[in-house]
Amino acid sequence: MIKFSDEVKDQLYKLAQQKNIYLEGNILKIIDAGDDKILQNYVKDARKKDDEMREKRLEITKKVQTQNDQLLEWKTKNEKTNEQLKEALDKAEKSEHKALKSKEEAEKSKEIALNDLDILQKRTQNQLIESIVKVSLWLISGVGVITTVMFAVTLFKGVENKIVESMWSNMFGILLTNSFSIIGTIMGVKYASSNGNYIKNKKCNCKCHD
Amino acid sequence: MIDSILLVDDENLFHLVFEDACSLLDIALSLKTFNSADEAEIYFKKIVETKSKKPDCIFVDLNIIGSTFDGIELIRRINFVHGDGVVIGIISSSNDDMEQTKAMKAGAQFWIIKSDKIEPRLEEFKKDFDGYANRTLQFKVYK
Repeated sequence: MIKFSDEVKDQLYKLAQQKNIYLEGNILKIIDAGDDKILQNYVKDARKKDDEMREKRLEITKKVQTQNDQLLEWKTKNEKTNEQLKEALDKAEKSEHKALKSKEEAEKSKEIALNDLDILQKRTQNQLIESIVKVSLWLISGVGVITTVMFAVTLFKGVENKIVESMWSNMFGILLTNSFSIIGTIMGVKYASSNGNYIKNKKCNCKCHD
Repeated sequence: MIDSILLVDDENLFHLVFEDACSLLDIALSLKTFNSADEAEIYFKKIVETKSKKPDCIFVDLNIIGSTFDGIELIRRINFVHGDGVVIGIISSSNDDMEQTKAMKAGAQFWIIKSDKIEPRLEEFKKDFDGYANRTLQFKVYK
């Protein structure tokens, strides 16, 4: 405990009265006021002031502390959310990449399928043409052979048959003409289909159609 | 009233809270604070070497950021390396049973849980202090 001389006491009272300045802190707890009522009141007032100030400071400090804790919590939460967002973004980018790859593969498959279909159609067309040509040739040669045989029989027998003669010459002429026309038609169809393919292929190779 | 208290805590704001609470509750006359366990150990070593007066009570935080060891290790060192004789315990926001057992084994006499309303716990501690000083009180957690 500490004791103050009268001179110090007077200075302390003057400071308190004139400038409202008091002793602060734990020194107030070790002042021995004895029976001095004025000093007792001074210590009482000073402690009251000190306690009020400390209470205020304590309240503010606690508030700041709570706010700091909340800020730290928010910071942690934000960091977690950012990480989750980043992960989601990465996943989305990967999915987009996969989708693009799948789209490319599907387009390639579509192209292959279309090409296969085209080839199949051509093959069928060719087979049909081949059958038509074969049948036509058999027909032409059959009719030709029959009329020739008939004409030959009339010649060898010496029988004059005007109908057979004209039929043979007419038939031969017609058959010859028709066969050429059939060949011409076939050639025309072939040329037209190959020309169509050429145009089609040209279209597919063009970059603007990709 | 406790003559001198030593607080080891990395949070400067808590130093102010603790100082004001101690002053308002008339717990201690003088308070010394350290931010790290290493600083506190150096201070304690000096006290032992110079045979100066040890603080009457030491409050140590559990996790002291910026220190090479934690609060429990500081308590162990003060108790078993630098000689005991002081009332020492943990002041932390943690309420982990395992950590409390570890602290007790290291020589901690109390565990005060830090929160907004720390004053009632400190007041209760003030009442129990003499029991800790004369080693008649068992380890206690102030919740």
